[in-house]
Amino acid sequence: MTETKNSLQIKNLGMIYQSQAGAVTALDNLSFEVKESEFIVAVGPSGCGKSTMLKVVAGLQAPTSGDVFLDNQKILGPSPDKAMVFQNFSLFPWKTVWQNIEFGPRINGVNKQKRTKQVEYYLKVTGLEGFENNYPRQLSGGMQQRVAIARALVMQPRILLLDEPFGALDAMNRTIMQEELVRIWSEHRPAVLFITHSVEEAIYLADRVIIFTRRPGKIKEIIDVAGEAGKEHWRNMSIDDVLTLKNFQKLRQKVWSKVRTEIEGNS
Amino acid sequence: MITKVSQVNITKFLFATVSITGFFLFWDFAAKHLVENPFILPSPIDVMAGVEKLFTGYLGGNIFVHIRSSLYIVMIGYLFSIMLGVPLGIMMAWNKNVDTIFSPLLSIVRPIPPPAWIPLAILWFGIDASGKVFVIIISSFVPCVVNSYLAVKEQPQELIDASKTLGATRTKQLMEVVIPSGLPTILTGMRIALGNSWATVVAAELVVASSGLGFLIQAGYRNFEANIMAASMIAIAIIGFSMNLCFRLIENWVVPWRENQDQF
Repeated sequence: MTETKNSLQIKNLGMIYQSQAGAVTALDNLSFEVKESEFIVAVGPSGCGKSTMLKVVAGLQAPTSGDVFLDNQKILGPSPDKAMVFQNFSLFPWKTVWQNIEFGPRINGVNKQKRTKQVEYYLKVTGLEGFENNYPRQLSGGMQQRVAIARALVMQPRILLLDEPFGALDAMNRTIMQEELVRIWSEHRPAVLFITHSVEEAIYLADRVIIFTRRPGKIKEIIDVAGEAGKEHWRNMSIDDVLTLKNFQKLRQKVWSKVRTEIEGNS
Repeated sequence: MITKVSQVNITKFLFATVSITGFFLFWDFAAKHLVENPFILPSPIDVMAGVEKLFTGYLGGNIFVHIRSSLYIVMIGYLFSIMLGVPLGIMMAWNKNVDTIFSPLLSIVRPIPPPAWIPLAILWFGIDASGKVFVIIISSFVPCVVNSYLAVKEQPQELIDASKTLGATRTKQLMEVVIPSGLPTILTGMRIALGNSWATVVAAELVVASSGLGFLIQAGYRNFEANIMAASMIAIAIIGFSMNLCFRLIENWVVPWRENQDQF
């Protein structure tokens, strides 16, 4: 594979769990690449191993077979250069918004003056100015997820991992956060690996969409969304406008029918 | 929400007033018409006389001398329990070897009711403060250990994972995530321990003491002054209640981020 900066390579990844009913294969020989500044979204039925894959990439779980490389370096454990955003926000409830965002730089020994600047910057980028002294429980789900995104981005990760980040939000907040994520991401454009159940979300955000089969999780197909969208990616428009576009609707239908056959099983 | 909560509180307050007033009326009735013997059941008025006696001075000083004596012993024993129990509980949950060493010892000590230690403690440490401090440590050390242990064991894995992806080492995970997130549970253990300490000091003073609130009860018993016994019990209740209340306030101050803030 060619050397590219800030790219993620997943090679022949396999994951087998031992359960009482015997061995369960969660991931089966998974290989793909996330290029520099590329936005990859993985969709697939529940329990297809998408989240397992993300945990392996984050270094939180060791795969049974295969390897993951970040900039040609094998991933052996978690580290801030692959920061993660969780579905349930996973904010530290005893820390204020400011302290949550500051957590990463602080425990990594960034000096106070520098990290104050960093926190201020990401508060601004994520639209959290004025909320820095609130505790997470005092914020709406959408605002909490902004904090989680800021907490991850402040580490200036080479790749940003998002595990169904908007799954716990209501439909209205979800739409707003999808647009917000694009805006926030555009500031530095790290590589992104994003997992979702929503086909619409996937093709609105992604450069490429990876469709998973049901368990054991394999790649069914990779869809080149950026190619389909044409010169101007539709994530740069508002979702309301994009939903009316013919080519968006067509692609959504195409991806959905593929995901659907996996959910229903008897393809 | 706010109106609902205050409505519930008002209802609670009314019922509390009714039940407490009812209790005192029944007590007064029973003392005057059923028992008719102030040595066995003093009436509320008799007890008030006992309270007054305690304030003006009874057996070596007024009530505050005895309160100070009891509280002094409690505080020493309680502080020792926290300093020993909380770190031990945390380490047992965090490190398997520590758990393996101390769990068997704790399972031996736990089933023994702390007051059972009082005679032995007096034998070992004498009738002064040190014997009582020992029994208090026995009684309040265990809830500190158990709750700290549970606090660390019941960790939300996702928060630890989040800290790991942000670069937290294992020590940082413990200090920055595990202990702070378990703090409400640890504090609950410390509050239970405080109640245990208070109960234990009274029990120990009943057995042998030259001052303290348990000593007052014992003195009242020996001098056929049931009203002194009751008045001392009231003092014990008031102080126990206040300690619990103070601790709740401290909890709210230390862990303001808790979801169920205002539950008393």
